[in-house]
Amino acid sequence: MVGLSAGEKQFMHGGIAQDLRSDGRQRLQFRPISIQTGVIPQANGSARVTLGATVVIASIKAELGKPAPLRPDKGKVVIFIDCSPTAGTMFEGRGGEELSSELSVGLQRCLLGGKSGAEAGAGIDLSSLVLAEGKICWDLYIDGLVISSDGNLLDALAAAIKVCRFIFLVRFEISSPWQVALSNTGIPKVSVIVEASAEDQLEVNVSDEEFLQFDTSGVPVIVTLTKVGRHYIADATSEEESQMSSAVSVSVNRHGRVCGLTKRGGAGLDPSVMLDMISVAKHASENLIAVLDSEIAAAEAAEDDGS
Amino acid sequence: MEYVSSLTGFRFDGRRPNEMRQIRGEIGVLAKADGSALFEMGNTKVIAAVFGPREVQNKSQQIDNQALVRCEYSMANFSTGDRARKPKGDRNIISYSADHGSKYINTFDASFSGKNLKQIDIFLQVLQADGGTRSACINAATLALADAGIPMRDIVTSCSAGYLCSTPLLDLNYVEDSAGGPDVTVGLLVKMDKMTLLQVIALMPTFFFFCCCICFVLLFV
Amino acid sequence: MKEILISLNQTQKVRLQAALQHLDELASQVSSANLAVTVADTIPVNNEDGILKGHGTTEFDGQVVATLCGIVERVNKLVYVRTLRARYKPEVGDIIVGRVIEIAPKRWRLEINFSQDAVLMLQSMNLPDGIQRRRTAVDELNMRSIFEENDVVCAEVRGFQHDGSLHLQARSQKYGKLERGQLLIIPAYLVKRRKQHFHHLEQYGVDLILGCNGFVWIGEHAEPIDSEVLEDRDKIPKDKHRDTPLEVRRNICRISNSVRLLSALGFALSVEAIVDTAEASKSSNVDIKDMLGAEFYVQTAEREVQRRASLLKKKRFV
Repeated sequence: MVGLSAGEKQFMHGGIAQDLRSDGRQRLQFRPISIQTGVIPQANGSARVTLGATVVIASIKAELGKPAPLRPDKGKVVIFIDCSPTAGTMFEGRGGEELSSELSVGLQRCLLGGKSGAEAGAGIDLSSLVLAEGKICWDLYIDGLVISSDGNLLDALAAAIKVCRFIFLVRFEISSPWQVALSNTGIPKVSVIVEASAEDQLEVNVSDEEFLQFDTSGVPVIVTLTKVGRHYIADATSEEESQMSSAVSVSVNRHGRVCGLTKRGGAGLDPSVMLDMISVAKHASENLIAVLDSEIAAAEAAEDDGS
Repeated sequence: MEYVSSLTGFRFDGRRPNEMRQIRGEIGVLAKADGSALFEMGNTKVIAAVFGPREVQNKSQQIDNQALVRCEYSMANFSTGDRARKPKGDRNIISYSADHGSKYINTFDASFSGKNLKQIDIFLQVLQADGGTRSACINAATLALADAGIPMRDIVTSCSAGYLCSTPLLDLNYVEDSAGGPDVTVGLLVKMDKMTLLQVIALMPTFFFFCCCICFVLLFV
Repeated sequence: MKEILISLNQTQKVRLQAALQHLDELASQVSSANLAVTVADTIPVNNEDGILKGHGTTEFDGQVVATLCGIVERVNKLVYVRTLRARYKPEVGDIIVGRVIEIAPKRWRLEINFSQDAVLMLQSMNLPDGIQRRRTAVDELNMRSIFEENDVVCAEVRGFQHDGSLHLQARSQKYGKLERGQLLIIPAYLVKRRKQHFHHLEQYGVDLILGCNGFVWIGEHAEPIDSEVLEDRDKIPKDKHRDTPLEVRRNICRISNSVRLLSALGFALSVEAIVDTAEASKSSNVDIKDMLGAEFYVQTAEREVQRRASLLKKKRFV
């Protein structure tokens, strides 16, 4: 994807060794991050995250569904990421599929703790999604879209998901019936009446005035550390990613607990290095969460001013 | 269902039958593309990215004395209200994008082709679909091509219209679009006053076809 | 676009808007003569004196119509449209920076942000031994030792061949492979053609090459290798493993971020503007990485307003 000459590679490696990367960052610093919320009014929550030249959109939609027979007390979460060809010609046709599924699986591991999302999610409390055990639950569809790609997509997507979930919780609006689909609302509260009839028929009333509180206090962020040469760096650009030997993505929640971990790249890692990377990622995540929190506050404030 | 109020003559979203939704265009939204544009028609939102003109990547596709124009259209999963899963290779969409591509070839400047064979890629990404995505895509692509500095004979604009409750309606939104009435999408070269795209779904009286043509010329004036 | 890329707080937004508006006003004062057109706009011409239709124009219904968005330029009878944003359009003698994408028989293909790849023939290159002679088959086999794939190369536009391909030449010591630095790709229209595109910023120890095609090279200063003292060629490979000194690297990063910032703001890149921005960041103690942050972004816009306003005043005074 990104071809670099030997001279440029040497310059980049040297810079990482000297703790001064090509855009002036230190090894563990992030690029400026910017957040815009509510970009997809049709979704229950949505956000666009810009990290340098990387732009991603995440949206969350909630739909009523039936819990899996094996886990009657849990709702379902589906994560699906798509790479738009607008990000580059390499994503045209089926070109983006490999990366898309890699990102989807990475996020599923990091945020849900499992591929199916049926396990006790580290990030999302799945049991809070159940409305009537074994009968009806909320299915959360998390869709990510990569609009412009300049490295570190996983962290950006996770941040976008985290941010839209935040909005999810806080923004409640009461809409007139035919606008429901088009306003940035929380999940409508659903009252379930179990009919006495034999077939377990459910009658669902969607109320527009009350909303379900959704517990998201422990939503993790992902910090990806990319190993280039002997050192590892946070928030790698696509040029830096082209030189990586391996990368470790650690998802850490607000309490500093590691919720998930994925390693990519061909080269092996020494276990001690891995442990070191995890503790560094944990430290970096604190800063990232703080930055996200302040950005969310700023985005909220801007939106309030606008309305 | 009553799509046009018999009392006030207004539509669901408060528009008059011949009124468009609010449109908004923004160019240069993507850093890495040669040209890019974001186009909104009401709640319908499309991003277009143009890459090229560049060397033809697949030499077997090279056409003599003509630029190779390719177009890919994709819809984000979250773009529709009900989140129907539409895989990328959907046949509908492929023919759809082929349709787009061939249409655009015709609008390119002849001076642009000639000896230097080139490839131009247009990528359309629907972020939100609320009716009229096809029109929005065409308008977005036009803006992106202009942003990329690609010579064009004329500006292509597009708009849709439908016929519901015995009233011709301009620029249908999703609710009106799915009502099952006849609808028509027209692409027009503004300066030359020529039509480049005409797509009709369901039968309809011809007179209103005429009226919708006139209405959307207003679009880019 | 600018709002999307950088998150500004409320006051910064207001300041930026004020600055950009000011710039618009200043621009309109300077150049009111030039006409801006969009695609399909009619360009008013006086039909009596046989007009030559140049780039970006076509004829429709006996009128001259623009096929591009941009500014109408007139040179004698020629009328053409200069686009604001497009790929690079080469002119003979332009100094460009490109990246090798392919090695073909007797030639290298370079990506230079033009609509086609540029060609650098082996015979338009100075050989490493510096001797002018016929290129042999051995030279052809050794092409990879001169430039490899992905190498960043500086060259000059030689001209178009009959088949429409663009040819380059690198017949001077100042051209050739660029190492120990970084390449930035910015919109080509931001680099204006000047007398000088190679800049050795002595106070920084940095080489800056503003390629006309929007490829900007910022690297550690390298003395041009004199062809006479090439006997000690072994010295160079040894030198290769040396890392760039930290101080120089800081300067490279600072200059790079100035270039990034100016191109994000859409200001023309001249060496003065770049050095100015770098100096301003230094004097106001802005960290290198914070040069890309919101505050310095707005400050730079405001400084540009001041600069242009004072320039205008001077002009009027004269």
